[in-house]
Amino acid sequence: MKVFILKLLALLMLMGMGSISANESASAPEKMSTHQEETYKTKPLSEMMSGFLESTGIVALMYPNPDELNSHGEKISDFHKSWGRVIMIIITFLLFYLAVAKGFEPLLLLPIGFGGLLANIPVAGIAGDNGFLGIIYHMGLSNQLFPILIFMGVGAMTDFGPLLSNPKTALLGGAAQFGIFGTLVGAVALSEYTTIFDFTLKQASAISIIGGADGPTSIFIATNLAPELLGAIAVASYSYMAMVPIIQPPIMKVLTTNAERRIKMTTLRHVSRLEKLVFPILVLVLAILVLPESTPLIGAFMFGNFLKETGVVDRLSDTMQNALINIVTIFLGLAVGSKLAADQFLVPDTLAILALGIVAFSVGTAAGVIMAKIMNLFPGHKINPLIGSAGVSAVPMAARVSNKVGMEYDRSNMLLMHAMGPNVAGVIGSAVAAGVLISLFK
Amino acid sequence: MDTNLVIEGFKFMALGMGTVFLFLIILIVMMNIMSAVIHRLFPEPKPSASAQSDSQNNNKRIVAAITAAIAHHRRS
Repeated sequence: MKVFILKLLALLMLMGMGSISANESASAPEKMSTHQEETYKTKPLSEMMSGFLESTGIVALMYPNPDELNSHGEKISDFHKSWGRVIMIIITFLLFYLAVAKGFEPLLLLPIGFGGLLANIPVAGIAGDNGFLGIIYHMGLSNQLFPILIFMGVGAMTDFGPLLSNPKTALLGGAAQFGIFGTLVGAVALSEYTTIFDFTLKQASAISIIGGADGPTSIFIATNLAPELLGAIAVASYSYMAMVPIIQPPIMKVLTTNAERRIKMTTLRHVSRLEKLVFPILVLVLAILVLPESTPLIGAFMFGNFLKETGVVDRLSDTMQNALINIVTIFLGLAVGSKLAADQFLVPDTLAILALGIVAFSVGTAAGVIMAKIMNLFPGHKINPLIGSAGVSAVPMAARVSNKVGMEYDRSNMLLMHAMGPNVAGVIGSAVAAGVLISLFK
Repeated sequence: MDTNLVIEGFKFMALGMGTVFLFLIILIVMMNIMSAVIHRLFPEPKPSASAQSDSQNNNKRIVAAITAAIAHHRRS
C-alpha cells in the first residue's frame, strides 16, 4: 500500500514537471518572435538583392573575403580562397572517378573525397570549428579515437590462423617495415640537401609511416606527430593502398626468378581454437613488456580479435566487424576530407608527400621479397618469395596480389593463405614501428 | 642546421627495424612454444571420439537432471 502511494506521488510530480516544461516551451517562441522583429530592419528590394548576390558562392570565389580565416584561425592567401578551392573541388571529382569507375578503395575515397568537397565550399565554413566537419574532426580524429576504433574492427575481421601455422613468415611482415624507415631517411635527406622542402624529423616520421601501407596507423601517427600534414598523408596512404595491385607486381617480378615464382609451399597445418584464443593475449602481453607505446593500436586490435575468437560474444564481434567499423569509416573519411581544404593541401609539401609515399610503398614491397629470398638461403621449408610482398599490411589486398601473381606462373599454386601470414604480421609490425616512432618523440 | 638530420634518420632506422624484428622474433618463439604447450596439454580430440564423449556427457547430464528432480519431489 505504502509503495503504491509513493508511486502515485512520483507520477504526480512527473506530470507536474512535464506541464511546467510544456508551458515554458509554449512561451519561448513568443519571446523569440518579438526579439526578431526588433532587430530586423526593413530594406528596399534592390538592396536586399545586392546583399544576397554578395553572399553567393560565385562572388566569394571571384572576390575572396579578405577577413576570412582558415580552420586554424590563420590568414589564407587569396589564391587558396579562390582558384585553390576550384582546383581542390576538381581534385575531389577525380577521387570520385577513381573510386566509382576504377573501384579504388571506394569505401574510404568516397567519404574522404566528399569531405574534401564540403571543406572547400566558401562562406559556409563547414570544416571550421563550428561546421559539422570540424565537429567530427575534433570528435574523433584530433584525439586519435577513430583510427583506434577502426583497428578494433579490423582485429575482429582478422584470422591469425595462417600466421600461427607458419610462424616464421612473420619475419616477412617485419622486413616490409623497412619501407617506413627507408623513407624516413629519404625524407630527412630531402629537407637536408634541398632548399624547397623543410621537413622536421617529426614530419618526416609521419610521412614515412605511409610505407606501412596501413591507413589507420598512418592517421594515428600523423595526428600525433604532424597534424598539419594529415590530409596529404591520409590521402596518399589510402590511394596507394588502393593501387597495391598496380604498384606491387612489377617490383615482385623484377626481384624474383621464374623458378622462385613457381615454388610450392607445404600445406598449412590445422590450428586449434585454443591457439587462436591465446594468440591475441600473447601479442598484447609482449607489446606491454617491449613497447607500451604501441599498445593503443595493438590493444584495440587484439581486443577485437579476442572477442571474435572466444566465440561467445558473436553479437559484439559482429557489431565491430560491420556496424561499428562502417560508422567510424564514414566519420573518419569525412574528418580526413576536412583536411583537404585548399590552404592546407595545395602546398609544395603535398607533392613531396605523394612522391615519398610511393617510394615508401615500393621499398616495403621490395624488402619483403628480398627477405623471403634471404630466408630461402637457410635450410627448412622453402618460401615462395612472392608472398614477401604481402608483408606490407594492406589486408587483404597485398595477399591477393601475391596469389594472383603466383597463379600467373602456375595455375595450381594457391598462395593466398600462405600470404595472409605475412600480411597480418605486417599489421603487427607497422603498429610496432608506429610505437617506436611515438616513443622516440616522447 | 647544426645536427645532421640524415644521421638522425639512420639512427631511427636502426632502432626501429631492430625493435620490429626483435618483437617479431620473440613473437615467433613464443608462438612455437605456445603451440607445443597447447598440443601437449590440450590435444585436439578426434572428431569421432568427441562425438562419442559428447553423447556420453549428454547422458550423464540427463541422469543428473532426473536424479535432482526425484530428490526435489521427495523433499516436497
